Amino acid sequence: MAPPIYSALIISLGLGTTMTFASTHWYLAWMGIEINTLAIIPLMSQNHIPRATEATTKYFFAQATASATLLFASISNAFLTGEWDILQTPNTLTYSLITLALAMKIGLAPLHSWMPEVMQGLSLLTGLILSTWQKLAPLYLIYQIQPTNSNIFIVLGLLSIIVGGWGGFNQVQLRKILAYSSIAHLGWMILILSFSPPLALLTILIYLLMTFSLFSSFMLTRATHINSLATTWAKIPILTISTPLILLSLGGLPPLTGFMPKWLILQELTKQDLAPIATLAALSSLFSLYFYLRLSYAMTLTMPPNNPAGTLPWRLNPRHNTTLMSLATTSTICLLPVTPAIMAMLPL
Amino acid sequence: MLKILLPSILLLPSTWLISPKYLWTTTLSYSLLIASASLMWLAAPAETGWSFLNCLMASDPISTPLLVLTCWLLPLMILASQNHLMLEPTNRQRTFISLLISLQIFLILAFSATELIMFYIMFEATLIPTLIIITRWGNQMERLNAGTYFLFYTLAGSLPLLIALLLLQNSTGTLSFFTIPYLPLTCSDPWAHKIWWTACLLAFLVKMPLYGAHLWLPKAHVEAPIAGSMVLAAVLLKLGGYGMMRILIILDPISKELSYPFIILALWGVIMTGSICLRQTDLKALIAYSSVSHMGLVAAAILIQTPWAFTGALILMIAHGLTSSALFCLANTNYERTHSRTMLLARGLQTLLPLTAVWWFIATLANLALPPLPNLMGELMIITSLFKWSMWTLILTGLGTLITAGYSLYMFLTTQHGPIPNHLISINPPHSREHLLLTLHLLPLLLLILKPELLWGWSA
Repeated sequence: MAPPIYSALIISLGLGTTMTFASTHWYLAWMGIEINTLAIIPLMSQNHIPRATEATTKYFFAQATASATLLFASISNAFLTGEWDILQTPNTLTYSLITLALAMKIGLAPLHSWMPEVMQGLSLLTGLILSTWQKLAPLYLIYQIQPTNSNIFIVLGLLSIIVGGWGGFNQVQLRKILAYSSIAHLGWMILILSFSPPLALLTILIYLLMTFSLFSSFMLTRATHINSLATTWAKIPILTISTPLILLSLGGLPPLTGFMPKWLILQELTKQDLAPIATLAALSSLFSLYFYLRLSYAMTLTMPPNNPAGTLPWRLNPRHNTTLMSLATTSTICLLPVTPAIMAMLPL
Repeated sequence: MLKILLPSILLLPSTWLISPKYLWTTTLSYSLLIASASLMWLAAPAETGWSFLNCLMASDPISTPLLVLTCWLLPLMILASQNHLMLEPTNRQRTFISLLISLQIFLILAFSATELIMFYIMFEATLIPTLIIITRWGNQMERLNAGTYFLFYTLAGSLPLLIALLLLQNSTGTLSFFTIPYLPLTCSDPWAHKIWWTACLLAFLVKMPLYGAHLWLPKAHVEAPIAGSMVLAAVLLKLGGYGMMRILIILDPISKELSYPFIILALWGVIMTGSICLRQTDLKALIAYSSVSHMGLVAAAILIQTPWAFTGALILMIAHGLTSSALFCLANTNYERTHSRTMLLARGLQTLLPLTAVWWFIATLANLALPPLPNLMGELMIITSLFKWSMWTLILTGLGTLITAGYSLYMFLTTQHGPIPNHLISINPPHSREHLLLTLHLLPLLLLILKPELLWGWSA
């Protein structure tokens, strides 16, 4: 893609999210989200293969539906209450509609069906942008409407954790697995949003860190299928140690960083007398752990001198710039003892 | 406490920086030095409760024997793994030793933890190195399934434990071992109280393992390499027992009725797994099921919570740790020579490997709890305290002792006596390393006959 166009699109992506962050009026927030959607559409289809075009179309339909619903709900809210201010959204029917529209934007269950399909058609870098940057604006809006009635959030959250885990069971394509992992982690985040928004912020930040590390590891070896993980030992041996640890961190195993959000969320839920929901959420996250474990098996634990699981590919010599990735990976593995410091930094 | 923990942590950089020529000798000697230094924990007076305190770590008469066993086991694991890792590239050898060392670090932190959440995190943290050891360095295809079973059985039990601990923290405000025994525990809803009680114990019962939830253990033990089997049998199962001992203090008073089904399941498991051992063809599976059998006795003893029961459980845990680990090392000597775990393929070893036959004999006698070994002391105290609790348990425990003797002798006679198989053309004599390994297992066991007060826990 020509550099001027590429930079214009990237700047628009930034502009869209920033507009949403900076707005107090629903119209402006909606405009920011639309700019975001429109900016990423060309980025998704830039390599012009049919699968990418298909993914772009599906993404466009899903996001357009959600944006239209969001616009409709915010206009209805203004019609019924006379209030355009995001912070003043009262707890009515339109509030639920706004929540559902934003949930569809980020791909929470039961509005998640577009996520795996779209993610599968994209390149790994665009998939990373979709998983991380595109989630920020809608999540910020949900954060801003100051949820008080927790029912819808608990339902969305639990359903997402279960669907995110169960859906990934049968997948062999890495991007679909990453999509389901995104659904599951966003489920954890939305579960705690009505009780402790700063914890939701912590969850999304840790999730961004872990996803960035994982996407970067896959980008280094250009792995898109479980079988292509099996030859990582031949290309970049250190990845065979770091990626399983990132995967287990995503699964929420102590003493890795991924345990931190789960621990704090479970603590908050038990403080709110929701121990059965906490147990259900915790046990459902074991589903996701199963396919993360399967990925680690494919990558590391079946290394030679055991039989290799895949055919040996061409070994091209990519230029790696791994600065950011190494920082993210180290943080994904070692950050749990720093939990008190991180909690002190959040606006708790 | 830090005198042992920091050198253990620093073994990690030493493993990666030493030249390959000295890798095994250096790690072995340093870990042996740390193990000898860890014996200082045993010199603490037993009556005063906690010793070697700092804010986060302490040792008391229950955790001290387990800590010493953990530290003692690292040189033994390094010694045992040396042969089968010799053919691997140096970096893989270093990774393997690093996994063993990190396991030791997590275990020291777990046994010396003074706060329940710290114990929980370290309890879970031991899963990752063990999983990697089992699934990466195991030898058969079934090891992947074994790793999955191991991880998921343990996690399915321990996630409810996390929530139960968080609930406890809500009601008592703290989870420190120093204060929790003295805090009143009130739970308004009796049904919720029962579920909370079960959630607290389930993780440890799965880890011990209790008979109904024991399926991960034969898989994990059999598929693991020798170091994995040793650490699983000797220490990781005891984490479950230790956790149960710690947490049962908090769980009264409904434990009196609620523990009934688990005690009965544990005792029934002693008989069942013992009977399975009598029909095993796979040597490591036999030792694995015998572990389940012994730990069933330990589980039943811990659940009845009397002083003799706790003492018996603690002694049996340590004695079983050493014995089971020794038996796995002996099974490994067979495996390294024949590359098969089938007992029938390696019979008549008394003629072929007479020096190892001595170790087989002592280890088998220890397994069937021959006096005056500490195994007997532990089992006898458990059986006695169970008899006092209810005289009908004597049927199950007596039958269990009989079956234990049966399968231990079966194992000994099958491997040592009998005709030499026709296909064993040449078999290497036992290495000095293997003799050293077994001496280091069985000598402490024999020495403990002379001073069992070290293992008595609070009853000393």
